[in-house]
Amino acid sequence: MDTEILNQRPISKVDQAMVGQMAGVRVKQTSGVPGKSFSVQVRGTGSISAGNQPLYVIDGFPLEPATQNGSGDFGSGNPLDNINPGDIESIQVLKDAAAASIYGSRASNGVVLIKTKSGKLGKPKLSFNTYYGINQTVKKLDVLNAEEWIDRASEIIDSRWVSSGTGRTADQTSAERQAILGGFDTNFIKDDRWFQEGHPGLDYIDWQDEFFRTGEVKSYQLSARGGNEFVNYFISGEHLNQDGIARGVNYKRYSARANIEITANEKLKFGINIAPSYSVTQDPGVEGKDNLMHYVVSATPISENGLDYNIGDNAPYAWGRSVPSPIRTIENTIGENKIFRTLTTLFGEYEISEGLRIKSSLNLDNTEAKNKYFKPSFVDRNRQASGSFSSYQKQNFVNENTVNYDLNFNDTHTLSLLGGASYSIFKYDNQRILAAEGFGSDDITTINAANNISASGTYTLETKKVLISYFGRAQYGYQDKYLVTASIRRDGSSNFGRDTKWGVFPSASLGWNIDKEKFISNVEFISNMKLRASWGLAGNNTFSDDYASISRIGFSNYSYNGNFATGQVPINSANPNLSWEESETINFGTDIGLFKGRIFTSFDYYVKTNKDLLLSVPVPTASGFSSAVTNIGKVENRGWELELTTRNLQGGEFTWTTNFNLSHNTNEVKQLGPDNSPILGGSFDIEHNILQVGQPLYSLYVVQQDGILSAQDIANGAALYGNQTEGDPKYVDANGDGVISPADRVLSGHPNPDYVYGMTNTFTYKGFDLTVLLQGQSGGKIYSTFGRAIDRTGQGYQDNHLGFIRDRWRSPEDPGNGIEGKAYSTFGRIKNTDWLYSSDYWRIRNITLGYDLGSVIKTNIFSGLRIYVTAENWFGDDNYYGGFNPEAVNSNGDDYGAFPLSKSIVTGLNFTF
Amino acid sequence: MKKYITLILLSVLALSCSEDLDQTPISEQGSNNFYRNTADFESAVTGIYSTLQSYPVYQFYLSETRSDNLYAVSPTGVRAYDPINAFDRSLATNTIIADNWNTDFTGIFRANTVLDQLTSEVVPDAATLDRLKGEAKFLRAFFYFDLVRTYGKVPVFNRVYTPTETLEVPRAPVAEVYDLILADLIEATTLLPDSYGSDSLGKVTSWAAKAILGQVYLTRSGPTYGIEGPGLDSDEYNLALEQFNDIIENGPFGFADDYARIFDYNNEHNEEIVFNIEYLSGGVGVGAEYPSVPVPDGYLRVNSVGFSNGETAKQVSADLINTYEEEDIRADLDILQGYTDQNGNFNPVPFYTKYLNLDRAGQDRFDWGLNYPLIRYTDIITMKAEAILMGGTGTQAEVDAAVNAIRDRAGLTPIAGVDLTTLLQEKRLEFAGESRRWYDLVRTGTVVNTINSWIEIEDVQNRMQTMDENQILFPVPSSQITVKENLYDQNPGYN
Repeated sequence: MDTEILNQRPISKVDQAMVGQMAGVRVKQTSGVPGKSFSVQVRGTGSISAGNQPLYVIDGFPLEPATQNGSGDFGSGNPLDNINPGDIESIQVLKDAAAASIYGSRASNGVVLIKTKSGKLGKPKLSFNTYYGINQTVKKLDVLNAEEWIDRASEIIDSRWVSSGTGRTADQTSAERQAILGGFDTNFIKDDRWFQEGHPGLDYIDWQDEFFRTGEVKSYQLSARGGNEFVNYFISGEHLNQDGIARGVNYKRYSARANIEITANEKLKFGINIAPSYSVTQDPGVEGKDNLMHYVVSATPISENGLDYNIGDNAPYAWGRSVPSPIRTIENTIGENKIFRTLTTLFGEYEISEGLRIKSSLNLDNTEAKNKYFKPSFVDRNRQASGSFSSYQKQNFVNENTVNYDLNFNDTHTLSLLGGASYSIFKYDNQRILAAEGFGSDDITTINAANNISASGTYTLETKKVLISYFGRAQYGYQDKYLVTASIRRDGSSNFGRDTKWGVFPSASLGWNIDKEKFISNVEFISNMKLRASWGLAGNNTFSDDYASISRIGFSNYSYNGNFATGQVPINSANPNLSWEESETINFGTDIGLFKGRIFTSFDYYVKTNKDLLLSVPVPTASGFSSAVTNIGKVENRGWELELTTRNLQGGEFTWTTNFNLSHNTNEVKQLGPDNSPILGGSFDIEHNILQVGQPLYSLYVVQQDGILSAQDIANGAALYGNQTEGDPKYVDANGDGVISPADRVLSGHPNPDYVYGMTNTFTYKGFDLTVLLQGQSGGKIYSTFGRAIDRTGQGYQDNHLGFIRDRWRSPEDPGNGIEGKAYSTFGRIKNTDWLYSSDYWRIRNITLGYDLGSVIKTNIFSGLRIYVTAENWFGDDNYYGGFNPEAVNSNGDDYGAFPLSKSIVTGLNFTF
Repeated sequence: MKKYITLILLSVLALSCSEDLDQTPISEQGSNNFYRNTADFESAVTGIYSTLQSYPVYQFYLSETRSDNLYAVSPTGVRAYDPINAFDRSLATNTIIADNWNTDFTGIFRANTVLDQLTSEVVPDAATLDRLKGEAKFLRAFFYFDLVRTYGKVPVFNRVYTPTETLEVPRAPVAEVYDLILADLIEATTLLPDSYGSDSLGKVTSWAAKAILGQVYLTRSGPTYGIEGPGLDSDEYNLALEQFNDIIENGPFGFADDYARIFDYNNEHNEEIVFNIEYLSGGVGVGAEYPSVPVPDGYLRVNSVGFSNGETAKQVSADLINTYEEEDIRADLDILQGYTDQNGNFNPVPFYTKYLNLDRAGQDRFDWGLNYPLIRYTDIITMKAEAILMGGTGTQAEVDAAVNAIRDRAGLTPIAGVDLTTLLQEKRLEFAGESRRWYDLVRTGTVVNTINSWIEIEDVQNRMQTMDENQILFPVPSSQITVKENLYDQNPGYN
């Protein structure tokens, strides 16, 4: 992928640049919180318990893959953290096992090769790029306004009152009810002010309006590149300041880079790439369930103290939630995450003789992250301050040594041989100090002011892993017509059992440049034609437990008579024979160029089979453990990818180029644990997804709703869940046993989209350039576990609810939209189609209009000046009403309350001197 | 040129130090270095005890909430305890039922691990060896007893089974589970010491083993109800009485004079305590959750407790409240009739505050410091009374004496001619909130009638179903049923 565009439009993160650009590469922006990493999936997901993110390689340095946690977050950092996109020369994604062979041991999820800019021969060329813009949320969730909330609350309170005892009727006044109760219970008594003119003493609040804001984004980048016969250099410095679209959220980055290559003599080259960076993210904890954005959405839209709801001396509204004002909480809470990272590569290359070269590199990725959290007492529900300090250090060291031999015989035979070895060590330490029992002062936010420390919440932990690899590759070409590549590598990983650490990963590929053949070279309209076929094995060793092969003892303590007593117990079901997860890919492809390159297309078909999965197989808990990690199971991903570039208009003043990509991927579980027993998953209440042989990964598995229960249905003996009554949702009795139970869950779609597409149109006219990027997906489902906060059966009236409840069933005469059950229900809840949505969407990610002022203003102050304006995410559509972002779906198909994407207008300048 | 090739070879060789691949955990201990001396086994046995820490909360939900002591319907019906309270039939996916199953088996696994590893070579002192073995056996029996009372048939493991092996072990008949329980407890009574020094107080004694053994005999003697449940109709009341009389006559325990002092944070290990679960507050991870579980969140807030417990009030049933005689001092000690919230409104929902001392709140809701009495002396004398009334050897005078001791302590006048119904009612009041009621009803064959007639009156909100014999047990957790098809059968009455 050509990344010249990286400076043409405002891009704050490298992964953002990859969105919609490449077929078979699904880049999901799972969060709109600035600075958060995207999730990248190459050709679907084939792993279940093991990691599913690609291997990132920056300037030849393979970075330890990060694992995404259940809420779609990269809690322990991501390889792309702090990387300045302005430094990137190119990004290439290796999808099939043969292409990725040289990284084969960890290439089962694909490899993203990132190359940073290097020096160029010539006098120094300086460039200065800056942009400024504003951003806003793409979406607000439709929830009830205050009047609608009152309508629902009244209905619930009255219904509950009537059903709470004999002689209780809806028309009894608050005073009458109070007299009967002998107390004032807001479960049974309404607020009389709701029905008074001007609702005295009550403020009606749209909390989302208070939460979202217009933020600013600013970026400054300065770089210089140049070189002479001895030294080539590229140096750069950058600063980004990006506000979130909600209060309290901000991301700042400072980074620098120096890439220097020295040519000592004809044979010897060496150099260093060094990139220190620092970022500060402010996030008081907006994202996810039971976090601040959840509190904003579900906050009672009525307050007696405006935005100062339930803070300090203010009591909560008696009919409202007990959560203090989320706005004041955000304003006063510190959630500060600082990452200091230095990426360093030192390399040397020596040509021993014609065609024979050795190369050695030493690479170090050193990351230090610190996180400070402090919430003062007056915005805490229990008026007690809380705080923590946590940090982690990641050190990833890689030494790689290679020998390369190139032979060119008469321009007929070309041979390239590569052999090498590498040693990689990854050390991860993390620490936390958790304050307890409040703070001595709300003004001191550091832990020295904490009244106590939680011993059980305070720790330091360390892990270390080692990877040793040997690899070789041979590439042979005959007259540039036939290309054959074969490679093999052998890798040992400390993650695995004593005798099973080593894996062998071979690959082979064939290429045939048909256009070089005589029989076709005179076909006028074909300018390129190539057929490709490849096969290869790749590995995966990313598993949540680095020591899963070792039986370990952990702590489980107790006390005797007030004396703390250390207890030690086995904590894992070790598998001493644990080894590599493998993926086998077969790929067929063709590249065709027509009409002198006016049309270029590329098509690939692949079958990728992950096998010997690192699978956490559920076992009877009677064994002492709930799962045992085993190399078992098989998942197949199959699909095709189309890339098409057409130069629709070229040569004239007006040019138009279209880049289009479309990919189709389906996956299927082929084998699971020893008995192929299905594996159920999904947190909260009952499970809602299933891994089952013959079905797509993480198929959603819920009860189906079919309208609303009528009195007639119940009289006819309709299947009920618990004590359901008229007006409650009617569920489908899938197993026909006469009752609704978890046994009525059925397969209900899969999270993996069938089609992912992207299209970039670029137009130029004289000095103007216009780029439009459209991107989308279809065929997948998303399950909004966030619905548990804002859309659940039996949800208390205090919590605000998704807006469609206003069309609910109220009586047989007023049945609403036939989907939403009555406001007051007590049957509890069962996972059903309520929270199931299509994850289809399309979005105009980006429209950029630029103008080259350099061609107009003749000056010797600068050699080039381009001005542009960009609109991001202004147009698009989705069918997702249960949350903010249909892309937020994590690999299990859930959205746990992800932060919305932003739409922005940004203007920028590109100077070159 | 040769020089460079040598260099390359050297660098490759330098890389081949594949011993680096043998990484061992840094922040955890490998088990191959463990179980090597007495200290290791002391820690390993403590690890079994720690499995007890969640027991009171599970009992509160599975026993107290199931009984007629609580009408625990949450306002919206969505709490995990709602369907337990309501006798819902689709409970197999309930998290509390699964957690309790898993925790009991974790305890059994830890006990089996100790018993498999324990030899006189690693623990040379014979008395220590006996005690460690006795503690492990007692705890294994204790967890199996909870399993058999809660789920009926369960797989029996008398040693550590690998996960693969457990896939081949189905649920054993209740009688077989009891065989292991009885063998373990009988052995424990001889292996365990009578008492401990103050730094080990709270460990299980031979008296505790006898008390549980008596309780097991009493439970086995209960009716079968035609289900594979805890009752075997075994008529072992005299075996039970043998244990209870031994404890009463020879044990170091006594009847406390002051009811409130039994649950006093400053009076732990009082004369009533035959066996308890130990807790320590202070943020070190060994505190208790159970004291504030029945209590609504708002009550903690109005009393300036610095943390939330996220709970709603577990409403004490009107039936229980109406059972107290006016002079009964226990009503106010055990139950709060409601509270005035932050808005100044009185919420008239009664809930248990039996174990709550707001001045002793720890760092969070899991950090209360009060030990949980599992067997108190009053249990022994009332179980003895029950055994006599159910046909064991003893006199009506003994029965009356036990009940009148309790009544006297509660500020009530004595009664005579105590029958089973009266005994159950007196126990209900004495042990309100202590999760005894349900098992008392099950053992004495009265559970189905008592509960169903109670529901008819109490359930004004129409939130509950009636029960039948099958609801004496809970279902096997669905997560265990789905591990392997046909490994475990489901209890009848659940879907």
